[in-house]
Amino acid sequence: MRRSRFPIVITVMVMAFLYLPIVILIANSFNPARFSSRWEGFSLTWYAKLFQSPEIWAAVKNTLIIAVSVTTVSVILGTAAAYALHRFGASRLQRIHYTLIYQPLVVPEILMGISLLMAFVAVGVPLGLFTIFLAHVTFCTSYVAMTVLGRLQDFDFSVIEAARDLGASTWQSTRKILIPMLMPGIVAGALLAFTLSVDDFVITFFVAGPGSTTLPLRIYSMIKYGAPPMINALSTLLLAVTLTAIILSQRLATRKSGT
Amino acid sequence: MGSCPVDFRENLSVELPADLNYNGPSETPMKRFLVAALAVVASVSCGKAKPSLSVYTWSDYIKPGLIRRFEREQGCRVVMDTFESNEAMYAKLRAGATGYDLLTPSSYMVSLMHAQGLVRRLDRALLPNLVHIDPEYLEIAIDKTMDHSVPYMITNTGIAYLEGRVKDVVPSWRMFGRTDLRGRMTMFNDMRETIGAALKCLGHSINSTSEAELAEAETLLIEWKKNLAKFDNEQYKIGLASGEFLLVHAWSGDVFQVRRENPGVRFFIPEEGTIISCDDLVIPTDAREAALAHAFIDFLLDPAVAAENTAFIYYLCPNKDSYPLLPAEIRDNPGIFLEPGIRAKSEMIADIGAANALYIRVWDRLKASR
Repeated sequence: MRRSRFPIVITVMVMAFLYLPIVILIANSFNPARFSSRWEGFSLTWYAKLFQSPEIWAAVKNTLIIAVSVTTVSVILGTAAAYALHRFGASRLQRIHYTLIYQPLVVPEILMGISLLMAFVAVGVPLGLFTIFLAHVTFCTSYVAMTVLGRLQDFDFSVIEAARDLGASTWQSTRKILIPMLMPGIVAGALLAFTLSVDDFVITFFVAGPGSTTLPLRIYSMIKYGAPPMINALSTLLLAVTLTAIILSQRLATRKSGT
Repeated sequence: MGSCPVDFRENLSVELPADLNYNGPSETPMKRFLVAALAVVASVSCGKAKPSLSVYTWSDYIKPGLIRRFEREQGCRVVMDTFESNEAMYAKLRAGATGYDLLTPSSYMVSLMHAQGLVRRLDRALLPNLVHIDPEYLEIAIDKTMDHSVPYMITNTGIAYLEGRVKDVVPSWRMFGRTDLRGRMTMFNDMRETIGAALKCLGHSINSTSEAELAEAETLLIEWKKNLAKFDNEQYKIGLASGEFLLVHAWSGDVFQVRRENPGVRFFIPEEGTIISCDDLVIPTDAREAALAHAFIDFLLDPAVAAENTAFIYYLCPNKDSYPLLPAEIRDNPGIFLEPGIRAKSEMIADIGAANALYIRVWDRLKASR
């Protein structure tokens, strides 16, 4: 019997659907045309323009400062929240807690943006990087908590009990058993938080203040008067950096396991 | 990218045994948190020594070199932030966002913001360069006395087409009725602009509140719609550059940017008259650096600065003393400097208050028609 071609066709189509846009983006970053999608020869115009645009780099810097601090804080808060929810899930207080944590996942972004802005204005916090940070932590914590909670659901607590039996303190059992075993969930949550923070537009738009324009805000505003192809160049560079980081980390990992 | 978390997990599961051998408490997460928090606080509070002017505007709307010159002259810092629509900016300010010292909304938005007390009255003593503003422009402006706003950049609505692909061009709005261009034309997805074009074509004011005139415009638009590929404000530039669309409803500033790429693009202002739009400089009521904002407005009104700015962004700063300083390419362009006859028939979009409901009704019926 001949093997069906169906799976390979589907695989190729899915791969094309996922990666073709990225390939087109990379190709277009070398195309000097601003409006047409026709190929007008290889050029580094957009890269040159990109390096002459301090506003874009300021936006990249803002975005990264926010994303890194948001990821750190929301991972800590989210993991702690998930642990509390799992351990004491039956209590009434934790049910309320669960609803609160779940809320940012279902509330429409625009509502969250406007309400956060009004809250900041009412309390008198000056708008800027700090308010964006607070807003992002608000929803990123929920995502981290949900991811870690998933991991906790099939966690075998008898391992911890065994450690305690053998004389480990609470701190030791947490640090050496619980956290390492939760690590895949925590890392997945951290990556999710980082990504969400980097590309959030709606909420950020409302809570941003003078001098805190992030990359998504900058890109949207460039559609009207600016030169969006610069963004193709920037994305290509970011892609190169991410790929290098992944390849390097894989290399390091295989070397470690080899020795 | 989908495989990314898996890679990290592999990496970590290998690293963990090494980690377990490590004795002594670690405060890495806490330390990291503190560093991050410090970074956030530091970047918010630094730069307070120099006065800093926060400008909230469209992207790439001021020549960057001019900002640096102003910073040097005034010993200050200019912080630029950008918005992408009048409505989004307005929603944000209405909800209470503060901290901006200078805004550049379009004229219709300025009158709305003025009515709600969001912009402050200008101090004319701080703006000696106001004398350079083109009085001909002020005649059609909404804030004719420059009480709370100063015109920054104007753009004219017109029609762009590809030379050689469109035959027998007549400089009129009636071009949208040409059935031989069916499916290759676009009009703006903008209620006031598109209904305004039809009103102008029929010889009415673009701010008409007469139901009969609007009904006439509606019939004409429904006829035109059969020939249109779509209503669009942004993609038409790409479509025109690549030859997908042959004739489009367009803003002058956009067209001259497209022309740099496709020299076959031509632009005309219909003889029936058109819509002139303007973005104004205004200072919000709660601005902290009002004096510096006035200084910046005055700087932009300097004829030499205005000419440099116009030549860079292809919109026209209505500054009469800057006109002789402009390159001939811009000075002799009838798409930028309207012919007097056409200019006399052109208008700006005014806030028509309750009559807006009439326009919305026409627009809804047009969108629903087949």
